[in-house]
Amino acid sequence: MLEVVAQGEALDCELGEPVLEAENLSVSIGGRLLLRSIDLRIEPRRVLGILGPSGAGKTTLLRCLNRLSDLVPELVISGDVRLHGESIFGRDVDVDALRSRIGMIFQQPVVFPGSIADNVLFGVRRTRRLPRRAWPERVERALREAALWNEVNHRLREPAARLSVGQQQRLCLARVLACEPEILLLDEPTSALDESSTREIEELILRLRERHAIVLVTHNLQQARRVADSVACLGVRDHAGELIESGRCCDVFDQPQTPELVRHFSREPR
Amino acid sequence: MRKGLDRAFTACVAACAAAVCALVLGIAGAIVWRGMAVLDWHFVSRLAAGGGGAGGVLYEILGTVILVVTALGICAPLAVGVALTETVYLEGREHRRTRRWLFSGLYAANSIPSVLLGIAGLIVFSRWLGWGKSWLAGGILLGLMILPTVSVALIERLRSLPRKYLEAAAGLGLSRSQVIWSVHLPQSLSGLVSGLLLGLARAAGETAPILFAAAVFSGAGIPVGIRDSPVVALPYHIFVLAQDSLDPAVQDHLWGAAAILLGMVFALSLLALPVRLRIHEEAKSA
Amino acid sequence: MRNTGRRRLELTRVASLGFTAIAALVFLGMLVLFGVQSLPVWRYAGLGYVTGTRWFFRVHEFGILPMAYGTLAVSAVALVVAVPLGVGTAFFTAEVLPHRSRRVVKAAVELLAGVPSVIFGLLGILLLRDFVVKLLAHWEPLSGDTLMTGGLLLAVMIVPTVMTLADDALSGVPADHRLAARSLGLTRAETALKVAARQAFPGLVSAALLGLGRALGETIAVFLVIGRQDNQWPERLLSFQPLANAGQTLTTKLGGSETFIAYGDPLHWGAIMGLGLVLFAVVTGVSLAGARLVTWGGNRA
Repeated sequence: MLEVVAQGEALDCELGEPVLEAENLSVSIGGRLLLRSIDLRIEPRRVLGILGPSGAGKTTLLRCLNRLSDLVPELVISGDVRLHGESIFGRDVDVDALRSRIGMIFQQPVVFPGSIADNVLFGVRRTRRLPRRAWPERVERALREAALWNEVNHRLREPAARLSVGQQQRLCLARVLACEPEILLLDEPTSALDESSTREIEELILRLRERHAIVLVTHNLQQARRVADSVACLGVRDHAGELIESGRCCDVFDQPQTPELVRHFSREPR
Repeated sequence: MRKGLDRAFTACVAACAAAVCALVLGIAGAIVWRGMAVLDWHFVSRLAAGGGGAGGVLYEILGTVILVVTALGICAPLAVGVALTETVYLEGREHRRTRRWLFSGLYAANSIPSVLLGIAGLIVFSRWLGWGKSWLAGGILLGLMILPTVSVALIERLRSLPRKYLEAAAGLGLSRSQVIWSVHLPQSLSGLVSGLLLGLARAAGETAPILFAAAVFSGAGIPVGIRDSPVVALPYHIFVLAQDSLDPAVQDHLWGAAAILLGMVFALSLLALPVRLRIHEEAKSA
Repeated sequence: MRNTGRRRLELTRVASLGFTAIAALVFLGMLVLFGVQSLPVWRYAGLGYVTGTRWFFRVHEFGILPMAYGTLAVSAVALVVAVPLGVGTAFFTAEVLPHRSRRVVKAAVELLAGVPSVIFGLLGILLLRDFVVKLLAHWEPLSGDTLMTGGLLLAVMIVPTVMTLADDALSGVPADHRLAARSLGLTRAETALKVAARQAFPGLVSAALLGLGRALGETIAVFLVIGRQDNQWPERLLSFQPLANAGQTLTTKLGGSETFIAYGDPLHWGAIMGLGLVLFAVVTGVSLAGARLVTWGGNRA
């Protein structure tokens, strides 16, 4: 049974300085507004859940945080995103280095052709130029952190494509963890997985929380309850995604302020 | 260092693309510029004169048109037959190997050098059938040359037809050939048309297939009958003239003829464009 | 859809199968034609036909090696120039360029592909010959009609083929692979080379092979700029000098006037047809290999 996190317990201590924050972030494409004035605070060793219906712009928001949005040149971004107080959109910012400090997991696991070990090392051997002798140790460390080591340590040279979907997703996590990022952005990481794999990932997230700041996008309210410390709820107003409510989990879920959320939560099974 | 590699890579590939675009523009520009100086109504409407290096290219243009139309007549039914065979009559798993052979065969046939087709035409039409040089031989050879590409284009179009139309027609009780004539062919017509136009654009410019069994340089007008009725055609005309091109007047004439040939080829390709764009849109929305 | 009722003769089916049979017979027949008609020369010279270096038809001496060399040299030059240019451009359109501009560049390249070979030949005569004389001045070419000229002209002709196929191969790599690599912090060049190129590699090789197939079979353009000199067997095979001399390829010999006069003499005719057979075999082999690689690469991903 999943370990129930006492909501609000860890947050009773002082308000930590955010490691990543978005301020008045707005995104539009071709004149059409996608996201309107989003404010976010991502704190170290906390999980921020981002909830919302599909179409609210959750994925777009996440991709702004590691500037993956740059790859769509038609997107126009205003407002700011700051990593440790410094804007990530500054002219001198090394975008590739930024991305290796912020890890991202996608909905569908993306496994490169090659062995399990190849996949784990894929990013770190190039972005950090890790010397060859350090590779085996890094592979083991990353796979242990992703709770995959016990299952694959005897077949590291086998093609990664042979793993199950749940294992592949954890492999993607290991690949990201090998780069030792400060922040993890998880875009609905369990939507392609079955129930037991989902639970495994959720347990993993709670453990990873000890050493990383985590942003978890999900449309599943129960998952947010189980895993997140604070939540930001996005909703569509005037055809654009907007922040409806945000705050500590217990506050938002138990005493929702906005009418939409009240309706939404009252429908959800407890 | 990684940044340096990234910048170098981008610069390299951009340079390649720039070189290729420069080639295209240069070639198009050279032909248009030099050819325009010569092109006027006289050039198009008069007959060749002075040993072919002066005068106009009227009969050459007509000859090319005759060859292209003949090729169309040969290629269209054959391509439809091949495409229907592959997609309808050889449907199903038991015919999978035959289909693969057919497809490999089409690929192989497409790669046959056109000069070999021309020599085969020399043997079969000129000698065995005794036609000498004949416009019909040229048309048949050109039609056969483009048959593989047109067939493949049509096959892909047929394969992408939504099953729901076929099932609805069959469900109404139509027989197989009725379904073909009411669903398959009408809905894939655009693919056939665009494939044919592109193929004919290629056929219009080809020299090797007509070199041996169809074209002459001079002494031919509108062909009559089949035996010993050659044509004069633009590609062959240019080919022969180009081999003695030291006379500057001949050079001007050559540029003009080249411009006209290129114009015809591009006109055929451009005609296919709206059809191709529409197919692309349909595929995206499907 | 099976036709269970066989009562009526299905005319469409008969016609379609018949047409397919005709098409198949025609192309297979060509192969047989070349094989059978070249028999005299195989009986006469045997393997010496392929290994001989002298071609003097009046005394019935037939050796195709210099022409094979010409074909290889010209194709090699074409590949060396066209493959990097074509693949580089494909990288540009598939990895660097945004979508709308990509279509413009692809359209421009397609235009180049549509230009008839006789016009390329004309351009070669009027523009390329002088350039090559200057380029190869060190090797003292006798005129602008050299193997190098033929090779460069072929390169321009096959760049569109190589580029379009390479672009298709690179674009076939799914976008989420690129996205995952970029999100790990890989640069655009690293993503293009380590992710896209690696997965598209069979397709890239196939693009080169199909370009080669086209170069091997091209007649008219090369005919006009290569000088068509028989018996140009180089003294030293791996030197650069032969490229500055005129030469002959399998296709240019076939496209020449000798084909007309050879018909009367069975042995001479057999020799000409032998050229055709060799050309047929080589081009078909290369093209089939290229086609196979495309499907193989597709199945892997």
